[in-house]
Amino acid sequence: MKKRLLLLASLITILFIAACSSGDSDEANGTSNGNEADGITVWAWDPKFNIKALEIAEEAYKAENPDFQLNVIENAQDDIVQKLNTSLSSGTTKGLPNIVLIEDYRVKSFLEAYPDSFHEITGSIEVSDFTPYKIAATSIDDKNYGVPFDTGATGLYVRTDYLEEAGYTTEDLQDIDWNEYIEIGKKVKEVTGKKLLTNDHNDFGIIRVLIQSGGSWYTEEDGVTINITDNEPLKAAFKVYKELVDADLMAVHSDWNQLLEAINSGSVASIPTGNWFTPSIKAEESQSGNWAVVPIPSLPEVEGATHASNLGGSSWYVLNIDGKEEAVDFLTSTFGSNAAFYQDLVTEMGAVGTYIPAMEEGAYEISDDYFGGQEIYNDFTKWSEEIPEVNYGLHTYAIDDILIVAMQDYLNGGDLDKVLESAQKQAETQIK
Amino acid sequence: METTNLNKSIKSKNEKYKFRPKKGLIGWVFVLLSVILICLFYFYPMLQALLLSFQSGAGVNLEFVGIENYTRLFSDPTFLAALFNTVIYFLIQVPVMIIIALMFSVMLNNKKLKFRGLFRTAIFLPAVTSLVAYSVIFKYLFSNNGIINTILTNLSLISEPILWMSDPFWAKIVIILAITWRWVGYNMIFYLSALQNVDESIYEAARMDGASAFQQFFKITIPMLKPIILFTSITSTIGTLQLFDEPMNITGGGPGNATLTISQYIYNLSFEYTPDFGYASAVSFAIVVMIVFFSIIQFKLAGDKK
Repeated sequence: MKKRLLLLASLITILFIAACSSGDSDEANGTSNGNEADGITVWAWDPKFNIKALEIAEEAYKAENPDFQLNVIENAQDDIVQKLNTSLSSGTTKGLPNIVLIEDYRVKSFLEAYPDSFHEITGSIEVSDFTPYKIAATSIDDKNYGVPFDTGATGLYVRTDYLEEAGYTTEDLQDIDWNEYIEIGKKVKEVTGKKLLTNDHNDFGIIRVLIQSGGSWYTEEDGVTINITDNEPLKAAFKVYKELVDADLMAVHSDWNQLLEAINSGSVASIPTGNWFTPSIKAEESQSGNWAVVPIPSLPEVEGATHASNLGGSSWYVLNIDGKEEAVDFLTSTFGSNAAFYQDLVTEMGAVGTYIPAMEEGAYEISDDYFGGQEIYNDFTKWSEEIPEVNYGLHTYAIDDILIVAMQDYLNGGDLDKVLESAQKQAETQIK
Repeated sequence: METTNLNKSIKSKNEKYKFRPKKGLIGWVFVLLSVILICLFYFYPMLQALLLSFQSGAGVNLEFVGIENYTRLFSDPTFLAALFNTVIYFLIQVPVMIIIALMFSVMLNNKKLKFRGLFRTAIFLPAVTSLVAYSVIFKYLFSNNGIINTILTNLSLISEPILWMSDPFWAKIVIILAITWRWVGYNMIFYLSALQNVDESIYEAARMDGASAFQQFFKITIPMLKPIILFTSITSTIGTLQLFDEPMNITGGGPGNATLTISQYIYNLSFEYTPDFGYASAVSFAIVVMIVFFSIIQFKLAGDKK
């Protein structure tokens, strides 16, 4: 009896250990085989935008490569970031995709953190074919890593009906700075009772838009040196933000759904944001004809301030694993060199790329009745060429969080210089 | 030859009976299984994490920095803010929750109460809901035009909606309300079961002597439940130290870092910013140290009782 028990116990132990180890290798074999056999795997988010674009690209590529197979794995952006970080830091390439979509703000930190994991594509794309700011965002030291995808070129979406009520037209919004726009906003609020715009105090997108329009970023050219205390565009952006809050022109939302609701219910008169917001505005059909897009106001009292900036936008990156050649070929012959494909992108889904030949061939000259017949895509591409080139560096989101806290102090009556000074100090200790 | 063999077998038989190696062996094989698994999946990663906490750098470019990560903790305002928030949570939330749980358990222990099972289930039910699911629901309840604001406005308690998620004070309140809702029932169960062991005759005697309900509660119930109260407050404190799902899903740690917790900071360091796994594991060991500290207090206090 005892002997049997002993046998049983040892048997269970052995079985368990064996099952563990063999299970591991089975799984590993399965995924690596899967990668090789089933074509190219891509991780991306947003089925209505990024993945739709991939499908259009797949169709275009299949015309010439009928055997090509694309496996799109949809994940939320946060999940992709997390999975990439865990996979790449573990050192195993198993289960990784061939192509991954990474946001421009974030990519430098990946390229820096996992230097050998991404495949350099220098030479595979014609650098001069893309808008310069996008190349700057996807390259390190003249080495290209990303195939550029959508532009986050910004515009100021405005409700023309509210403006009209207050006695303004879109003409009055061309070539103005934020101080002038705030004055207009006060008038609009007086007449219509609508606030000028809405923002989430926890989302610093608008500040990033403002400072890039002034040709600046949180870090200096090298992407590492913290640039907060002596950053004139940043100071100006903080002042604009506080002015908007103090004049009660800024409504507050706390997540994406509330933002959409504020816009679609017509409770705010405008929103400065990236062009990818267009579909969200057009979702409210009853407001057709009441919207227009104008260039964003420039930062007041800042030298070299422009009306063009960027918010978000992402690019495709090839991982340094088997199948990279095929992946590069797929990307370069669609996103990298195909003007007709970009035409499809804009007509089928309103995505604006950064491929200059497509702009020249008039792919974007489409008037949109929702925006009163304005050729918004054409306008966005025009503006995208004027976006100041900045190095997004390694620490955008870390500094974002520090500045969000600094903004709270500033809004509560803190002295701007002191607030930024302590933010600079904090960033320097936190980021190494 | 034969005799020696015989001697040996007798000897070994004797030994067997002495140390019972066979019985011991069976036991040890069973124990071995879990020991191996625990070593493999608990202690080995812990050791690795400890080693990792002495390194720093972006992603895979790690290098040894000695205890620099730990000295950095004390000058890192974000970490200190997260620590401060966490302390606020357990200083306010844990006592409130324990008092409410005590009150519920005493009320539900009343033998004359009808539908006791129903009430118990209703109050315990939050404890089985998914953390993420209930967090999302709380987020919607407390959104700017959510039902809480609507109710408060309709009752004319407030004239303008409270911007729960955008105000550092109210955001903390929402988190505290959420965790309290989630965990009151869980703690109540402990008190309820402890109350079963309190002899009814003590209360009877107290009533005979003219003790009011309040006196019974403070002079009998609370002293009798003291060890359990201690246990729940320590486990709740440890739970608060590891708080993640609620701030992550309800407020995202904001506004600013007003609701950021230490666990969420670890997440941010690893996945939100340029990954610095070394520093992130140093932060996680800071939690370990604090949990060990509270556990020692628990042992000390509980030990005194015995």
